[in-house]
Amino acid sequence: MNKKKLRGYREFLYVLPFIILVLIFAYYPLYGWRYAFYDYKPPKTLSECAFTGLKWFHYMIDNDTKRKQLFQVLLNTFGISGLSMLFSWFPMMFAVFLNEIKCKPYQKFVQTVTTLPNFISWVLVYSIAFCVFNSTGVVNTLLQDAGLIDKPVMFLQSSEHVWFKMWLWLTWKNAGWAAIMYIAAITGIDEELIDAAKVDGANRWKTIWHITIPSILPTYFVLLFLNLANFLSNGMEQFFVFQNSFNKNYIQVLDLYVYNLAMGSGGYSLATAIGILKSVVSIVLLCVLNKVSKATRGEGFI
Amino acid sequence: MKLKKVVSLLVASTMIMATLAGCGSSAGGAAPAASDSAASTDSSAASDTAAADTSTDAASGDTMEIEVYDAAANYQGLQTGWFDKVVKDRFNIDLNIIAPQVAGDAIYQTRTSAGNLGDIVLLDSVDFADCVKAGLIKDITADLPNYPNLNGYMDQIKVYNSGLEGNNGEIYGIPTQMMNTSPIEYSQDVIYSSPLLRWDLYKEIGAPDIKDLDGLVDVLGQIQAAHPTNDAGDPAYAVSLWPDWDGNDNMMGIANVVQLTTWYGEKIKDSAILKADGKTFVPLTDKTASYYKMLKFLNKLYKAGLVDPDSGTQDWNAACAKMSSGQVYMFWYSWQVGFWNSQERLDNGTAMIFVPVADQNYYADADAYYGSGRVFGVGSGVDDAKYQKIMEFLDWYASPEGLEFQHAGIKDFNYTVGADGKFTAINDNALMDNLPVPEEYGGAGYNDGNNQINEWIVSANAINPNTGETYAKDYWASWKESTKTQMKQEWADKFGAAEPAEWMKKNNKLVISPNVAVTLISDTADISVIRNQCEETLEDYSWQMIFADSDAAFDSMWDEMTATMDGNGYQDLYAFDCEKWQPQIDAKNALLK
Repeated sequence: MNKKKLRGYREFLYVLPFIILVLIFAYYPLYGWRYAFYDYKPPKTLSECAFTGLKWFHYMIDNDTKRKQLFQVLLNTFGISGLSMLFSWFPMMFAVFLNEIKCKPYQKFVQTVTTLPNFISWVLVYSIAFCVFNSTGVVNTLLQDAGLIDKPVMFLQSSEHVWFKMWLWLTWKNAGWAAIMYIAAITGIDEELIDAAKVDGANRWKTIWHITIPSILPTYFVLLFLNLANFLSNGMEQFFVFQNSFNKNYIQVLDLYVYNLAMGSGGYSLATAIGILKSVVSIVLLCVLNKVSKATRGEGFI
Repeated sequence: MKLKKVVSLLVASTMIMATLAGCGSSAGGAAPAASDSAASTDSSAASDTAAADTSTDAASGDTMEIEVYDAAANYQGLQTGWFDKVVKDRFNIDLNIIAPQVAGDAIYQTRTSAGNLGDIVLLDSVDFADCVKAGLIKDITADLPNYPNLNGYMDQIKVYNSGLEGNNGEIYGIPTQMMNTSPIEYSQDVIYSSPLLRWDLYKEIGAPDIKDLDGLVDVLGQIQAAHPTNDAGDPAYAVSLWPDWDGNDNMMGIANVVQLTTWYGEKIKDSAILKADGKTFVPLTDKTASYYKMLKFLNKLYKAGLVDPDSGTQDWNAACAKMSSGQVYMFWYSWQVGFWNSQERLDNGTAMIFVPVADQNYYADADAYYGSGRVFGVGSGVDDAKYQKIMEFLDWYASPEGLEFQHAGIKDFNYTVGADGKFTAINDNALMDNLPVPEEYGGAGYNDGNNQINEWIVSANAINPNTGETYAKDYWASWKESTKTQMKQEWADKFGAAEPAEWMKKNNKLVISPNVAVTLISDTADISVIRNQCEETLEDYSWQMIFADSDAAFDSMWDEMTATMDGNGYQDLYAFDCEKWQPQIDAKNALLK
């Protein structure tokens, strides 16, 4: 009995560091939610500010304009996340095709070149984009020299196909990196399977279709579900650097909206309230997905 | 071996990337500056540390770093170049500039909530009052009288500080750009904003009289049609705008448009427009007021193909590069001519100069006797040694020697001193062409090493006791003599006045708004959220409206904008702002009586 108790304490000590970590980095920040219930405005401290209860939650939706704004932001978030979800097979297919390149140096070259953009910060990506796509940039100069257009096209300034363009930039930056996981999975495929298929007369397409893809599909699903859980947090750096007055209506995702509101405008309390809303929606989303997963696959993922 | 290969491959690809970025810039004259600054957020951190390293090495580790929280700066990081050298030689300090205009306003919030804004603080007066209340600013009452140069402005300093809420004679702030003339006079030759055109091009199309804004569009159209590119062959436009300054200086809306409203004697006070009579407010969203009018004017220019298509996405540096390479045919800020007018251009008549538009009357702030609205202060967190250094530095900053460096530049490089002690300007293209300064000042570019604090305790138009003339070269007898060019003569003959401000006064086209020191109330949490949402809406729509293809589209966007703004609480904001600015208006009108 005593020994058992002692062991219990010892084992508790084993997990204690992790519990502390979780408490500090996951639960302590929730304490910051209290800002949502005050009229907080720096440089005053919170204790000097008035307690206002649920005022800011009400403020978000107290008239049509604000509801429309919030709806548009949510729409953008779902649109951009949905688009990348829809094309989430892209890195997988990229990895599969990359694997089919038989010339090893060339394969390595392609892989390096496509992985590299992942390490460039979005700020630099934008400065490259600005140089290439501004009214006197490479693209406009080439098009004008070729006589295809006579007025420079303002690529960065247009409000059309914003979601798609953002997806393109994201893919350009991430595809190579995302493919790494699949390439690892492909190397794990048993050579004998492929050899056996070849003996049975399968050509290259058939090997891909019947061996490679089914073997890496579990990896794909794991990554897909991880992404689904992050559906509402599609990051903000990318949208922050690409936003301007012309495309803001379609580029402002939830994270960027919170940032613009809090950091750009000093609406800390309102931004915190929206942050809380985001967390709530995320939890609901996760539960729904879990239910769906249980219903379709027979097992949940949490 | 293998690792090396991978590394070299990575390096090679990075370089390809860099060349790709470089490619774009060589294709367009404006792009290099743009790419620099776009990357600057990243690279400034790197260059900071590099600069810090060298300075500690060089100055035997004794150099004190003073953080300057600077609402006026367009540059973030350590001051470098000749001005750094001048300051370091005298005080052995490094100025580390923190610029909300570069880093974003968020830095104000994060730093104030951390309780330390900076060692030297330069803020707009509303923020300054808030910070005093929050205890972030040091009380300098006891020490100020010991500093003779600052003490010389004690009257104005006291008037400012007595306006702080609940103040009993303590002194916290030192106003900026103070003068020693009178608060209701206007003593400069040019005003802050007026239409400025290239004289040679204006003459070339026959120097027509301009009746109204349509006439101006017409004139600009003719100029651009005759010269679609600058001499180097890069495309040139009548106007080139930039979005970085939007919403600054207590004025809602696109900074460029906001400035243009002063051409009709109106002045934007946050969300309200003060009419030319100096008494009545109208909402910014009023279709008959000047914001709509000037936005429409820019849209007309756009429809005539006269607006630089990069206007909405380029930054200030890119816009400046275009100004100095002659790719812009109309300026409207008085400082813009610094990027173009040189002695040579004044001589051969290619300089920019004010050309009146008949139906306009221009708004100008009177001499900044009580200061221009921004305030210097000392952070409450500094220790005694640092405090001493800061006060010494600020005193020098307000001294004739300091002011000569700030406003006139380097002796024997920017000006020479004659036998009578008066100054004569030389190398007046130093700023524009970033000329290398003499070796004793480090030899780097003049513009690169220019004073990045970008705000002055004493105005450039105050009188320098050493010379009996202003600090700014524009009013030196020698400068006036040398700028009496043929172009100036032609201008004077045509308009019947020696200088633009004189012409405006003579023709009763100048609305002078007296200088007063009134501390305004700061926003409540509700109002600040409303203000920022309205501002964002206003700016986004304004930019889209400038680039609207038809009047119908323009007007429907305007209506959509006002509806959205009203939905975000614009009416409350307008009521708040009218109340906020009324004390200032009352004080101004009291001075005029």
